[in-house]
Amino acid sequence: MMDQHEDPKFEQWLQDAARTTYHAPHTTPRDEMWNKIAAARRNKHVIELRPWMRWAVAAAAVLILGIGIGRWSANSLSAPSATPAGTRVATEIDSLADLAYQVAATQYLSRTETFLTSFRTDANRSANTARLARQARDLLTTTQLMLDSPAANNPRLRSLLEDLELVLMQISLLNPLQNGRDRDLITEGMNQSNVLPKLRSAIPAGPVPVRTEGAL
Amino acid sequence: MDESQLIARVRAGDSAAERALYDAHVDRVYRLAFRLAGDDALAQDFTQETFIRAFDRLGSFRGDAAFSTWLHTITTTVVLNGLRKVKRFRQREADIDDARDIGVAQRHAEPDLKARLKQAIDDLPQGYRTVFLMHDVEGYTHEEIGAALGVETGTSKAQLSRARAKLRVALSDFAGEWVK
Repeated sequence: MMDQHEDPKFEQWLQDAARTTYHAPHTTPRDEMWNKIAAARRNKHVIELRPWMRWAVAAAAVLILGIGIGRWSANSLSAPSATPAGTRVATEIDSLADLAYQVAATQYLSRTETFLTSFRTDANRSANTARLARQARDLLTTTQLMLDSPAANNPRLRSLLEDLELVLMQISLLNPLQNGRDRDLITEGMNQSNVLPKLRSAIPAGPVPVRTEGAL
Repeated sequence: MDESQLIARVRAGDSAAERALYDAHVDRVYRLAFRLAGDDALAQDFTQETFIRAFDRLGSFRGDAAFSTWLHTITTTVVLNGLRKVKRFRQREADIDDARDIGVAQRHAEPDLKARLKQAIDDLPQGYRTVFLMHDVEGYTHEEIGAALGVETGTSKAQLSRARAKLRVALSDFAGEWVK
């Protein structure tokens, strides 16, 4: 029995119209995408955030606070000579601190990925240049802090951060009165340097709270 | 060479097999990404991310379902999550622009059929829109859609029916187009 909503003529017309007019795909750019996939896979695993690490995040954050307070206190006292046990504890604490920096890096990379994806998509639209520049400046500040942090001890992450610093700096300097060509050049540069695929491959595909917490 | 052999070679690190597997599936992945995103740059991004994830996780593919089904599960996850992020970002910009435009009267020309169809599809709830585009536009079966979206086949059918009903109402001004 035909459902009250069914209308074969309408459905056929709708299918034909939608197939030909709604987001009709271009020819698949196979080689272009493959080159980027291959490049991104070569640069993958900038940050490895394994499942057990997620559980360590909260503990690490508390410990880092403790370290900070402890080191600050220690500076004001004459430090006794370190015992072997003390050295081991310090090493473990430093390793947890590195983990916390990695988590912060993951969240920052996720925000930057969202921003740059939107920037590239909106490059030819009337997105507000002044606002984009302001957002880029905010991310640029974080990028520079990340570059000065232990997170940048990883050479691949450092290289990615340096690429991002350049792109964000260019966006932050966009002139609202004359930006069409500048935006095209930035987008072109992003495409040539494969920044977005590298960025995506650096973000672990973990659950949302770890991967995108604090994202835009 | 059949697909299971190709997958075994990819797992063994054969880069030529990776490319062959990519070539076998990339058109359908890209087409779906483009239909859902409506933007070439985003569709390319989503397609790349889909394959990067698929190659990284190929070890977890057990072969219980077809490779294409598994791949399209990744595709829909990547695209829908990506679109959510882009939409959230754009919404922030739009909210600020709206606030700035308060008091500015705007008139829009009466859109033609193509524009109305686009608007009507864009206005569908995300679940309805995804099922409609996958089934009616890209030709996926309800079984494939159910597997990709993690819903029952019946849910896919129901969402398609509701999507068509909403589109019929939204496009009722153009009834003459399909009655003739």
